[in-house]
Amino acid sequence: MTLFDFIQMFAKMAVVVGLALSSVPFLVWFERRGSAWMQGRVGPNRVGPFGLLQSVADVLKLFLKESFIPGHVNKFFYLLAPAIALAAPLGALMVIPFGSHAMVMGQKVVLQIAQIDSGLIFLLAFAGLEVYPVILGGWASHNKYTVLGALRGSSQMVSYEIAMGMSILSMLVIYGTFNLQEMVAWQGDSWLGFIPTWGAFINPIGALIFFISIFAETNRLPFDLPEGDAEIVGGYHTEYGAMKFGMFFLAEYVAMVMASALISTLYFGGFNLLPGFGLLVSWVGGYTDGSPDALQNVKAAFEFVSILLKVGFFLFVFVWVRWTLPRFRFDQLMDLGWKVLFPLSFVNLLVVIFMSYFFVS
Amino acid sequence: MDNLNLAFLFLGGVAAFLSIAMLLAKNPIAAALSLLGIMLCTAGLYGMMQEHFIAAIQLVVYAGAVMVLFIFSIMLLNLKKEERDFKFTTPSFMATYTAGIVIFIGIIFQLLVHYDLFKSTMIPGPFNTAEVANLGGNTKVLAHALFSQYYLSFEVISLALLVAIIGAVVLAKRKFD
Repeated sequence: MTLFDFIQMFAKMAVVVGLALSSVPFLVWFERRGSAWMQGRVGPNRVGPFGLLQSVADVLKLFLKESFIPGHVNKFFYLLAPAIALAAPLGALMVIPFGSHAMVMGQKVVLQIAQIDSGLIFLLAFAGLEVYPVILGGWASHNKYTVLGALRGSSQMVSYEIAMGMSILSMLVIYGTFNLQEMVAWQGDSWLGFIPTWGAFINPIGALIFFISIFAETNRLPFDLPEGDAEIVGGYHTEYGAMKFGMFFLAEYVAMVMASALISTLYFGGFNLLPGFGLLVSWVGGYTDGSPDALQNVKAAFEFVSILLKVGFFLFVFVWVRWTLPRFRFDQLMDLGWKVLFPLSFVNLLVVIFMSYFFVS
Repeated sequence: MDNLNLAFLFLGGVAAFLSIAMLLAKNPIAAALSLLGIMLCTAGLYGMMQEHFIAAIQLVVYAGAVMVLFIFSIMLLNLKKEERDFKFTTPSFMATYTAGIVIFIGIIFQLLVHYDLFKSTMIPGPFNTAEVANLGGNTKVLAHALFSQYYLSFEVISLALLVAIIGAVVLAKRKFD
């Protein structure tokens, strides 16, 4: 590994991890202001302009609080759980491609941290690890509420993983590859010159099932059953305080970022330029020296902006849904997962297989 | 020593440590989590060998599914009694450990006698890294091998799994009837 490889790898990691983590305070602020806006309240507006620094103040508070460990917990696993919670979604982010490639000093830099042939399975593997912090945190806390919350959370995540896996499988049949770069390239065409061939237009039911499942996977409303103030207090993280709670909190938002990046890569064209961005690229490209490298860099920059906008849109939808839909009851959640989404995704998979068999070959 | 050997020593060492921890753990959840750690180390080793597909499958199947099931059942069954009564000094434990140590020493001895591990060069098979990349990545190569050359054994294994599933259902049903 040359020095250049090392530096570019490190820079890509810094950008992805930095963006994912630093978007969290803004997201929290947006969630609180958005909820206030939807409910006709004011929301936090005192700290900084429009209350933007409120989350900074909150994080500061979490950092400076005493790191208290209750006496009845299993210490090692109690401390391990929040670490896994944050590591799993960050690990999953490393296979998301955020641009085709840039040219730096005449060398090609692929804008994806780990260029893995079977990137999608890798992503699912890390997403699958997200169930451990819930189980571990709940169990290690030695508290009835936390164990109940952990049981709820883990059974919910395991159930919805099936529907999610089925809808991803239907996309794999269409794309014919596990490689996320190739999937994005597949979605680069357009019909009639203006409708992009995004996965969501080809397989709308799969996209819908996937969209519903990620709410359950990230424990977001309307599926935030692992927590319930009236029933099981804080759920699996009842016994956590200070920055250990902060890490669970951070992990939830990083998981949201990861899920948004995943749905935009799989179903909404990934880093492909948004419609209309082609004009912008050629306009900005006119101000460069016109060499192919410079043009490619401009294109890569707009591709990065495209996927950022898509991820931002889905993060907005997460907040939007949270403050629009009421939460489900646990049995309703399980019914939806096993009796509606699972059969539907299975039928959808069969339909997609037949369609692609008869139309593609 | 290249990266692969370093990674092997590190991940293998952690896996060996966790295996011992798994055997000696009093707490069933700690044992299950040690096993999870071993699975993760194995996946890391596969990853270092550029076998990303196998590494990912290892994570999905063992870490993401099997171990979740293990931990779930351990949490649901109340194993307090087993945890309290766990002793290393029962005769069956002694016999198991002795047998395990003897077999382990035997394997190590045979390996050291027949292969000069750290000096001998490995003879590469037909699928080296360049060849696999040439054929379209190891996922594709594996899929081709699995669904053409080893098709029959693949199907027979899936049949065996089906039998196991039906058996589990029958056993569970008999108990509840």
